[in-house]
Parts: sequence; C-alpha cells; structure tokens
Amino acid sequence: MKYKIVVIALLFVGMWACKPELNEFKASKGSADFSVYMSAGNSLTAGYADGALYKSGQQGSYANLLAKQFEQVGRQGDFKIPFVESEDGVGNRGAGLVTKMKMGFSTDCKGTTSLAPVLANPNASQAELFALLTTSVAANGPYNNIGVPGAKVAHLLAPGYGTLNPFFGRFASSATASVVSEIAAVSPTFFTLWIGNNDVLGYATSGGIGDVITPIDGPPGQGFAASYEAVLQSFGQFASSGAVANIPDITSIPFFTTVPYNAIVLTDQSIVDFINSQYAAYNQGMELVGLPYRINFSLGQNPMVIADNTIPIPDGVPIPKIRQIKSGELVLLSIPQDSLKCAYWGTAKAVADQYILTEAEIANVTAAVTAYNQVIAVAAETHNLALVDANANMKKLASGGIRVDGVTFTNAFVTGNVFSTDGVHLTPQGNALVANYFIDAINAKYNANIPQVNVTEYPAVVLP
Amino acid sequence: MRKTIFTMMMTALAINFAFAGGYQVRLQGNKNTGMGLTGTALNMGSSSIFYNPGALTMMSQKLDFSLGASAILSNVTFEKSGSNYQAQTDNKPSTPFYVYGAGKINDKWVVGLGIYTPYGSASVWDDNWAGKLLIQNIALRAIFYQPTVAYKINDKIGIGAGLVYATGKVTIEKGLNYSPTSKATLEGNAASIGFNAGVYFTPTEKLAVGIDYRSKINMDVKDGDATFTLPSALYNTLPADNKFDASLPLPANLDFGVSYKASDKLLLSLELNWVMWGTYDSLKFTFKEKGELLNSSNPRLYRDSFIPRFGAQYKLNDMVCLRAGGYYDPTPTNEDYFTPETVSLNTIAFTLGLSVTPVKNLTIDLSYLQLSGMKAEKSYAPDNFSGTFKSTAAIPGLGLSYRF
Repeated sequence: MKYKIVVIALLFVGMWACKPELNEFKASKGSADFSVYMSAGNSLTAGYADGALYKSGQQGSYANLLAKQFEQVGRQGDFKIPFVESEDGVGNRGAGLVTKMKMGFSTDCKGTTSLAPVLANPNASQAELFALLTTSVAANGPYNNIGVPGAKVAHLLAPGYGTLNPFFGRFASSATASVVSEIAAVSPTFFTLWIGNNDVLGYATSGGIGDVITPIDGPPGQGFAASYEAVLQSFGQFASSGAVANIPDITSIPFFTTVPYNAIVLTDQSIVDFINSQYAAYNQGMELVGLPYRINFSLGQNPMVIADNTIPIPDGVPIPKIRQIKSGELVLLSIPQDSLKCAYWGTAKAVADQYILTEAEIANVTAAVTAYNQVIAVAAETHNLALVDANANMKKLASGGIRVDGVTFTNAFVTGNVFSTDGVHLTPQGNALVANYFIDAINAKYNANIPQVNVTEYPAVVLP
Repeated sequence: MRKTIFTMMMTALAINFAFAGGYQVRLQGNKNTGMGLTGTALNMGSSSIFYNPGALTMMSQKLDFSLGASAILSNVTFEKSGSNYQAQTDNKPSTPFYVYGAGKINDKWVVGLGIYTPYGSASVWDDNWAGKLLIQNIALRAIFYQPTVAYKINDKIGIGAGLVYATGKVTIEKGLNYSPTSKATLEGNAASIGFNAGVYFTPTEKLAVGIDYRSKINMDVKDGDATFTLPSALYNTLPADNKFDASLPLPANLDFGVSYKASDKLLLSLELNWVMWGTYDSLKFTFKEKGELLNSSNPRLYRDSFIPRFGAQYKLNDMVCLRAGGYYDPTPTNEDYFTPETVSLNTIAFTLGLSVTPVKNLTIDLSYLQLSGMKAEKSYAPDNFSGTFKSTAAIPGLGLSYRF
C-alpha cells in the first residue's frame, strides 16, 4: 500500500514538475506578403551609428531587426546587407573620414578629464578609411537593405548616384545605377521606406547655412513630393505591401538639444563688468539705429553671443551683426567645446552661424518637416501602406520619454538610450524601439501579428 | 537523531524557499500538508504550535516531537505580450522545514518550542531575460522561532500563545541598463518579533473549532549590502559598495477552522485563512550614498486574500493513515503592479498524505502537494512590462513524529 502511494506520488512529481507550457502568441502575416523584404532609406536605415557605418551597427539596424521578426510571418532567404567589414567603420566628419566614436575620456583645454564621445581609432589613416569606404561589395549583392547614408529622397532616383556618394557607390550594381534601380534584382514583396530626414537635416546640422531644404514642389529628382511618389512607384512595381515612416521633428534630437543656449557661466562680477563694458558701444549703437538688440551679462548663466547675418543693420553703420541667443534657439553639438570654454566664444567672440539654429531657421525646419509629413501621409494612404508616425513618437521621447521593459527612452544625449554618441543616429536599443514602431504600424495596417522585438536584448550607449 | 535534525536544519538554512500566494509558505507539518494544509481545528500534535497553539492543550501524550521538510520543485513560464518571446525560471529546489517539541507540565499547562519557515521566495530568471531590469533573481527566507504556552480552560476549550522571533535574509539581483552586464546586488538581514495566538474549542466529541491569529511582522533590513556592477566610468557617480535600508512586511493571518469526526476512521477538516496582504503597499529602498539617484518606492498594492481549504484523513488501521485535500489560493497581487520577483497567480492545489507508524510512538509522515498557478496576463505598469505567466510546483515532503 505504502509503495503504491509512493509510486503514485512520484508519478505526480514526474507529470507536474515539468515546465508549464504557454502558446499565447499566434504569428500572422495578415493581408501582407513578407516573403521578400527590402528596406530603403538613409543612414538610419543603413544602421549608421556613432558617426560611422560599421558592421555591428548595420546588424543592429531596425531594418535588420524587422527582417528577423518577419521570419515569423513568412520571410524567406537571406536579408542581405552591404557590410563594412570593420567594427571601427568609416564615417564622414567635416573634411575628412573618421572611425566611429565610442564613450571614453577626453581632457579639455582647462585640463579637466570627463566622459565624452571619442574616436574609436583616432590614428586610422585617411587612405585606410577611404579604402574601407570605397571597396565595392557589389559582387555579393543584390542587397535587401539599400539604405544609403546621406541620401535625400531625390537622390534615390538619381542614376550614377554612387559616383557622388561612396556609401551607395560601394554596393551599387553599376556606375550608372540609381538606388531605386537596385529594387528589381531583389523584387521584394514587402518594403519599408524611411526617407526625407536629410532633406532638412543637412540644412539643420549646418546651422542653416551649409545646405538647402528640399522644396516640396518640382519634378521627380528635384521636388520632395514628386520624388517621394516616384520612389514608391518603383517599389510598387514589385511589392504590394509595405510601410513608410514619416520624419521626426529633428530639432528635438540630442544633436540640437544637448548644449544649452545659456552655457556661459560667470562667477566673477569684475569679469561681468568688463564684458558689459566691451558691449557698451554695441548697445548704444543699437539704440541709435532703433533696433531692440542688447547684449548684457550678469552673474550665473548667460545666453551666448552669436553671429546673425539677418540683423537689419543699415548699410554703412559699423555695428557687428551679432546678438545674444534666445532661449528657444538651439546650439549644435558640433560646437567646439574648448573654444567655448577657453577661447571666449559666446562672450568676446560671437559663435559662428554654422553652430546655431536660430528661431527663423527652426521655423524653416519645422515648416519643411510638416510639409514632408503631409506628403508622406497622403502617399501612404494612396499606396495603401502602413504609416509609422516617427514624428509623434519623437514628441513622446522629447516630452518626458517612455518606458519599455524597465528602459527609459528619452531624447537625452547618451543617457536617453535612443541616440548614439553622434546625437543623430540610433543605438541598438533605439533601433529595437523603432523596429517595434514599424511592427505596430504594420500589424495595424495589414491585420498582421508580427512579434515585437525585445528591447532589453540590445545595448544602449555602452560606457567604458 | 539529534544529529540528523541538526544536519537537516543546516542544509535547509542554506537553501531558498519558493512559495504560493505572495511569498507565504504554509508547509509547517507534513500531516497538515496532506490535508490541504489545514490545521486550525486539528489536533495533530506539536505542529499545533504553528497552526493553533490552543490545540496543544488537547495533546493525547505527555511529550510530542515532530520535524520535517519539503522540497519545492517550482517552474514559472513567461511569454511576453505582443511577442513569442518566452522565458522560464531556473529555480533550485527549495526546502522549508519545521521542528516542534511540546510537553505537558500538568493537566492544564503545555509548553513548546517551534522553529519553522512560513515565508520565503525564490525566483531565478536568466541574467539576460526580457525582464532583467525588473529582476534577475530573488531569494527571500525567514525562520521563525516560537516559544509557546497553552492553557486548558476546561475539557472543551484550550488557549495558547507564542512569542515569535523571526530572522530573515533577502538577496535581490537586478540588471541595470548601463551595459549588458551591469547589475545591482542587494543583500540584507533582518530580525523582528511578533506573536501567534489561538483558541481551540470542542463543543462536542466529534466537532472541533479553531481560531488562530498570527501577527504581522515587518522585516526591516538596516544597512544591507548593495553592490553595483557597473562600467568603471560610472563609479565616480555611483559607488560600487553602498548600504541600503528596506522593509518587507510578513502579513498577519487570521485562520478559522472546523473539523468533524465523521466516523472513527474518517476526519474532515474545513478552513478559511484570511491573509492580510493589504499591508504590502510598496517596496521602498533607501540608500546611504547617492540616495537622490538610487532611492526608489516601488508600488505593489497587494490586497488581502482569503484561502478556502479542505482536507480529509482516513485511518486505514493502527499502522496506516491516508490523507487528501485541496485549496484555492487567490493571488494577492495587483493587476497593474505584478512583478516577476513574486510570480503569485491564482493557484489551485491538491494534496496527498500518508502516515505510517512502524513502531509504537514513531510515525513517518509523507506528503505531496501539487500547485498549478493559473495562466494570466499581467503587467508591471511603472516599467511597462507585461506578459503571460503560468506556474507549477510539485512539493514532496517527509516528516517524523515521536510521542510518548
């Protein structure tokens, strides 16, 4: 009797101690066809991060994460990416080429060492980086991810664009190929397109002087609307379903929000008095010509003095076209910090226009983004595509942030987890977040059920 | 014998406990375990020190010793909402135990001492699982020491009470988002006191009624060790070694029981436990250094739970006793504040028990408890973490009792 019960008890243990089973999630492709997926766009799609294109960054792109999730809903074959076979990678900065950045320690002009983005390999030679950037990997194509760093919408249509932009040239199937001409060889059934950021970002990241905002109107290859339509038609020849993402308010990315407008901190009254005495003539002159500009410093935080060529000083009047920055205006992350700290930038010397986005420039950027997003929304509707509202999501990140699985995502530089060390491009964790935005939009549009990406599987900015 | 007890206790001390219903563990007597973990209106010997000290007065023998332990083999499966991502706990078997001794001083008075483990929790998730920023693993264990006196008012009513000295240890590890290997490890000890008092009433020879109250005990961790594993660049901001204070309530219980001798062979037991989980409002951590960055108040918002139980014992002959029982343990957790540190689901339990008395005075008590935590989708809103949980536990137990 006793043994019998022990045996029964052991049977129970055997039966019930096994792992409980769950099968709640039912993957479904809905009305879309994910068998062949192709992604197009700019640096964000390519997986550019930390100021460079490098292999693990490319692997972490939202497009590659989507490709992985699409396997659950019928995607077949490899998702080919034109890898840069390097972890240091190659990026464009000013006049030269650089490796990616990582968090490290840098010592400023005052001898203070602090945690900051530094080049992963500051000794990489231009020749070496140039070779990395221009070595063609076209032979391993055709590629599913045709995101091209630096590309604007019209660029995608341009034959021979690879000769102008080596990030396309390195994987373009021929010297005369356009980005959209690469679509045919893959013939996707599903595509994603996130393009248009550079049509306004180039203007913004150069402080409104280094580039022009792409106009809405104009023929394909020039105007935003017609070019966008032409790109969608190129995909439409093959794919019946897809998703497009609109453009976030780029002025809320860390590149524009990290350096405060009132970064000049004065703690000594004699210095305050000295600076103010130097601007006495400026203030008098402004009063004489009837303009409201005044420069005035006090103890504590002060707005920088900046150059502004739009100040309407009458011809022949010898007042410099400078003023103090307003609180809504933005200082770019590209401003040389040492010049600010040790070379009297913002006090004795006006900060050059290329480091500042003025109120008027911000208005231009905002107007362009709004207009582009109208085009994108209409195009999504017309072509029956899922629309990812990157703009709305960016607003949430910029106003308190959101929390996912214990991660707080905000637009803060480094600590916000979304943006990498360049302040513009995404971290792997940020890419996972964006991939989930795409998945949500695609699931809703096509009545599909694509599993979400697990954000905690991916790192944010890694600290030394 | 003494050596065995000692070895067993030492082994048990080193091992964590799992749980059902918050982090309470009611495996305080293998005879009781076989009968759906009832005991308030039962006279099962010295295990009444836990279940109802008042019942000690009805002990048949002059001296009664019992000891035992259970092995909790538990598993939790998690599936993330909106995803096919799954994770499972890798909990090690945990072993709650009890040791009781009680003796009659005279016809009216009984004294006793109990050492038992009514609270504990152990969840081991993978270090890199999706909820790693909430919890990676947690081990919580409490040992209660309870000297007890009982007084027989008359042949029908006995009362008893014990002072509880409780010691506890908690270890928590959770990931931090600074790098893939960043984490915080918190370890602390606590000690506190409480009481356990009960009344046992036998209006007729066949019927017994019991009420027992065990007080709430706050386990206050003072100056626990907090260790932060971080990228070295952050050690300027956050010290690697820190101290923390935290408080975890062990809730009060009010138990009502009725037992009925249906025949010479058959004993039936019914019980209702009111577990006052409502006291567990939030889990707060206060750090000695960098409190402005680290201090947190984490909502739990538990509510009281009511656990109905039933059990039956059938005396086959003088040597063999069979038992069975069951209960329903509703989760005390809040829908929006359910954390994977304590995966407490609505749970259905079945129990089996067997006692064998091979020689006079010595009884071997076997028990088996099967728990099924019912599948439910839960979320921890502050972290926006949600998914479906399901759990099982198989708990075999072995005890000895000796009376003369």
